[in-house]
Amino acid sequence: MIPLAHYLILSGILFSIGLAGVLIRKNIIVVFMCLEMMLTAANVALVAFSRAQGTAGVPVYDAQVLSLFITGIAAAEVAIGLALIVAMFRARRTVESTALNSLKD
Amino acid sequence: MNIVSTYTWCQFAPAFALVGLAALLILADALLPKLPKRAFAFIGAMGCFVASYFLYTGSQPNFLGCIAAVATGLSILLAFDYTKICCESIAGGSNEEGTGEFYALPLVACAGILSLTQARDLVMLFVSLEVITLSSYVLAGYFRRNQGSIEAGIKYLVLGAMSTGILVYGTAWYFGMVGTFNLGHEVVFTAIKGGVAASPTLAVGFLVATAMLFAGAFFKIGAAPMHVWIPDVYQGAPTPTTAFLAVASKTAGFIVLCALVLPFAPFCVPGSMIGKLLIWCFALVAGVTLIIGNMGAIRQTNIKRLLGYSSVAQAGFIMVFFLNVNSILVDLVGQYLLAYALATLAAFYAVAMVRTQRGSEEIAAFRGLGKSNPRTAFLITVCFASLAGVPLTMGFMVKMYSFVAAITAMGNWAGICWLLPVMVITAAMGFYYYFKVIRAMYWEKAEPGHKALQVPVCTGIVLTLCALALIYLGTMPLLVSMG
Repeated sequence: MIPLAHYLILSGILFSIGLAGVLIRKNIIVVFMCLEMMLTAANVALVAFSRAQGTAGVPVYDAQVLSLFITGIAAAEVAIGLALIVAMFRARRTVESTALNSLKD
Repeated sequence: MNIVSTYTWCQFAPAFALVGLAALLILADALLPKLPKRAFAFIGAMGCFVASYFLYTGSQPNFLGCIAAVATGLSILLAFDYTKICCESIAGGSNEEGTGEFYALPLVACAGILSLTQARDLVMLFVSLEVITLSSYVLAGYFRRNQGSIEAGIKYLVLGAMSTGILVYGTAWYFGMVGTFNLGHEVVFTAIKGGVAASPTLAVGFLVATAMLFAGAFFKIGAAPMHVWIPDVYQGAPTPTTAFLAVASKTAGFIVLCALVLPFAPFCVPGSMIGKLLIWCFALVAGVTLIIGNMGAIRQTNIKRLLGYSSVAQAGFIMVFFLNVNSILVDLVGQYLLAYALATLAAFYAVAMVRTQRGSEEIAAFRGLGKSNPRTAFLITVCFASLAGVPLTMGFMVKMYSFVAAITAMGNWAGICWLLPVMVITAAMGFYYYFKVIRAMYWEKAEPGHKALQVPVCTGIVLTLCALALIYLGTMPLLVSMG
């Protein structure tokens, strides 16, 4: 049996990689992958916690319900994001975030 | 108690009705291509107004939800006079194809806000919040022939999704520490004691999770340091969407913040360590938000960007109410939001009118309105004066409540007395940049080629009603207290 801490460390690593990628990477498609990774980190933690909080081997299903919702919302977010990226590529011929410079003080 | 038994279906009746209306509009968009899109705007706005009427007169009046519904209705109605720009920026020319969803999506987002007001646990909170943000991403990037709109959409999506990631990770840890998603006094009470086992690790984990949840809420209301998206998105997004984001979406943020803070009420008394930590965090965030919002607004020349920074600054004043966590918190926040909503929506109607007829969103485009359209200029003046907090307008009353809240909080927590001077100075800065617009209207000559504006019917009615309401609600409390 793998202890809870291992799952939480995995989810912490996923979350940190995701957050760092969003802040550092310039390619918006990579940024999107990192955003997905942040949501996946939450999913891993939720499913692990749902097991750990359960009694007599029955997990608390509330957490698993939320993880399903997160998966669905992540899919919707990607659909919108890719549509916006396509629109941006048509307008600017690039998907680098450095090209997003028309709005500034 | 599991998630399903916390709620009844009829709590969500207004939300279901709005989603149904949105679905009908989208179907009508596909099946009746001949129907003019202005009809969509009209039907959508009426739907929102009817929903807000039922929310206001219902057995449990839902004031914040009501403000959000009216604001959504008015921002859809704003698109009614904005159809020319919509068609140019979406399909090109005067082709109305593909513009239908622009009027249906705010309804979905509004349904999200209404279910958010009913949320008693984090799953409902998260899902409703995502319903709002996902529709807002589409709306912000909707003008696909406009570089600014696409850029605003992408910036909003990346930063918004990041804040969602943080919020949802906080939710996971909240569940891990307490074993439930409920937001209740007793849950928080046991969690801060470290659960049944009284373990300090659990208590610290719970506080970290709560901090992540607050970060998500701060993003929505645009409190520093999560405000970076506001100026860019407000400037780039289509004006009806900006009006929606500035008022309805901000109301949603405050609903989330109230839901997260109220369970902590028993701890927010002098002598409690947790209370001190929480109040200091809120005071710092409020102070930094006030400074950044007002400093940023001073040098703006684009009116939508100015209103963006203004919304950050106003959020700072609302944050001050959260220094006294008690039963009237929601009412005070609602009052302030009402004053802010009336003035800001009217301002966006004026911006849309100027943009349609003079083709510019710079403050310079307002020049000479005082001479050419004296009546409209006066109404716009009332709205900006209320945002600045001139006496006899509602903006002054609510700003005064905010100062009273700060002084009350100082009675309990002497350490945050630096907040009052910050509030005074930033309120004075507000006068400078809001009066930039008023000065442009009255003291500067119109640019050559700028004729008098034709005021569309909708814009005229909304501007008049908002200005009257601001004056009425600003003077009534004085008259009542005197007589």
